Amino acid sequence: MIENRSLEQRVLNIDLSRKSIEWQAISRDDERNYLGGRGIAAALLARSLSGPIDPLSPDAPLIFSMGTMTGTNTPMSGRSNVTFVSPATRLYCKANVGGHFGLYCKLHGADYIRITGRAEEPTYVWIGDDGIELRSAGEFWGKGVRGATAALEAIHGQDINVACIGPAGKNLVRIAAVMSSVYNAAARGGGGAVMGSKNLKAIALSRPKRGLTPHDVSLFRDVQAEMRAALYQDTMSDSYYTYGTAASVDLMNETDTLPSYNFQRGSIETIEELTSQYWNEKKLLKGRIGCASCIYSCHRFIRIEEGPYRGAYSAGPEYETVSALGSGPAVDSIGAVQRSNELCNDLGLDTISAGGVIQWAMECAERGVLPPEMYEGLDLSFGSAEAITVLPGMIARREGLGDVLADGVAEAARRIGGESWKWAVHTRGLEQSRVETRGTMGYALAFAVNPRGPDHLHTECIAEFGMTPEMKDLIEKITGSAELARPDTTEKRAEIVRWHEDIYAVSDALGLCAFISTAAYGASPERCARLFQAMTGIETTEETVMRAGRRIVTLERLINLVLGWKEDPSQYAPWRLMNETIDMSGNENLILDETTMKGMVQAYYDLHGWDRETGIPGSTVLEDLELGEFSSKESPC
Amino acid sequence: MKRMMIRQEQCTGCESCVLSCAFAHHDTFALDWSCIQIVRHEEQGEFTPRVCIQCEERFCVAVCPVDALSVDPEVGAIRIDIDACIGCRACETACPYGAIHFVDERSVPVICDLCGGQPACVATCQKPGAIRYGEAGETE
Repeated sequence: MIENRSLEQRVLNIDLSRKSIEWQAISRDDERNYLGGRGIAAALLARSLSGPIDPLSPDAPLIFSMGTMTGTNTPMSGRSNVTFVSPATRLYCKANVGGHFGLYCKLHGADYIRITGRAEEPTYVWIGDDGIELRSAGEFWGKGVRGATAALEAIHGQDINVACIGPAGKNLVRIAAVMSSVYNAAARGGGGAVMGSKNLKAIALSRPKRGLTPHDVSLFRDVQAEMRAALYQDTMSDSYYTYGTAASVDLMNETDTLPSYNFQRGSIETIEELTSQYWNEKKLLKGRIGCASCIYSCHRFIRIEEGPYRGAYSAGPEYETVSALGSGPAVDSIGAVQRSNELCNDLGLDTISAGGVIQWAMECAERGVLPPEMYEGLDLSFGSAEAITVLPGMIARREGLGDVLADGVAEAARRIGGESWKWAVHTRGLEQSRVETRGTMGYALAFAVNPRGPDHLHTECIAEFGMTPEMKDLIEKITGSAELARPDTTEKRAEIVRWHEDIYAVSDALGLCAFISTAAYGASPERCARLFQAMTGIETTEETVMRAGRRIVTLERLINLVLGWKEDPSQYAPWRLMNETIDMSGNENLILDETTMKGMVQAYYDLHGWDRETGIPGSTVLEDLELGEFSSKESPC
Repeated sequence: MKRMMIRQEQCTGCESCVLSCAFAHHDTFALDWSCIQIVRHEEQGEFTPRVCIQCEERFCVAVCPVDALSVDPEVGAIRIDIDACIGCRACETACPYGAIHFVDERSVPVICDLCGGQPACVATCQKPGAIRYGEAGETE
């Protein structure tokens, strides 16, 4: 007989100090209000906070959350989130991750795993068919992600799934990632350091035996088949499959929109090797990797077969990595970039931040701010393949210059001093992801109001570029005019950003990949609502599901207020982007000036009904969104 | 006659096929109950789908000591006589493609039935195209 897990969502609470393991049910109200995944994780975090907290203290929770649709064959539903207070920003952070970890957790009945406390000794959590155990990770505590996964497979068998940290997390590097299924990173914000601070090396799961049956099988079948058909027909689907996320690198370089030389330029001299077209043509592409239930397979698997980096292999590099470790430090060799990517993945480092600190160090060296004795023997000039392949190890092990860079670019600039803070491209401690936001106003606003910092993965409003018919249709739906599908205007950016924020929160809660709710639009609000209803039995409409998205976004703002966030116009974008111009083809002297940014942010606050000066959601908004439970948390501590 | 065809190098390991098979047959997403399984080697980015390919030899049928397995004349899939099967697992051992498995405590084999000629797994593998259902030699 098939044994099904219950449809009731549950939290697996693990206190590593007390060595306790307890299950807790999620209420039906929480499911209705926060949908699942990122939403319920935010509610769990909010309820545990009463003020600012040391992110690396035992009390700070680390919450893994699986999407409500994860564990099913809903297209692209294999995503999960890791939620924590970021050691980089000391603010709210959720890092989204693919792979198969979420699928395994979900079918084991663990919709959420909340880790608190600190183990006395290096530990891993084993979730097997016979129960859950805390076991010693002493023998592989210092190993890389591949080595640790192999060690766990040797103990438990080949068909397990693992989320773990590498040496970077162990050494409390604040740009450390939580890795899952070997190559998938919950990268941003330093979740790996939070896990390391708990002496937790890994969570490993056996291949689950139990099944999961949606509440309404017939409706579920209809919606997912409809969604699948829509996704296959989407203009972007061939591109994601054929070229992955780095499909447009050559075009971006040509139009000077590819962040290069630490955001000083928009292109590098030679781009050919960093394009996925080149990887395909030269047969470096050895295969594609799909997250659970993915039907696009954007994830590459690249192996280098010639030159000094022969033998380097890894999943990726993704677009972000190509720019962070390639164009950013001005390295044009795919061999070097893939070796660096491989190292970051194995050491458990966020490639965006690792690239961010490396290119900052290069600029410091070029400008004579970095004491030469700090990098003796290392070529730290822009274009140095040596720098991007040596520094990840030094950062993860906190050796020499690596120790300076290990706490992120903001802290590194504080330590090095001088004017180095000006080219530390971050806000509030998080390195900007690889988007040139000078000239892309929707992105600029989205980055300014993103609760985790200047980054694309809360609100990727790529539709503002209007590259496909679907993108233009969406902009017309949101703003009333397809003409506004252009990134160089501030008009209606607040509306565009808020729509994307809402649907992103919904898709993160349901466990759906960002690409189907933004770039491909197969997961329309209406389909998300029907899917959620089919799965849970909770009556849901397009309006209520988007309202839940807005509730999640608002709750994340409340969490940040509790953690000490304050409105600060100087933090709308990194200093460089607000004070230095950049030229793109056809557009010169682009800059994010404070007045323009403030205008967009205030329009966004007005749209939310938040205070336009302080960014604080008032009591009316909280009552309207049924967030009264958190009303005492609206004032900053 | 149409048959299942595997292009292992195209498989991305997403398991859409595994989940869809279990759901099509049992209304549940239970991995073990899927007729198609994937051997995963994530570190090397290699994934191998294992499913009945309706081979010419039909080793499983030949080896069954109680004639519980036969070939469906319409679609060519293996049919299982549940009442006759004694759960000896000889078919599992005989299949050179590793396409037959048993779920713990279950006495009958899990073997692809081609969903009556419209395999649910194939419908989910349109993009990578690692599993296809068609005539041998047929172009895409």
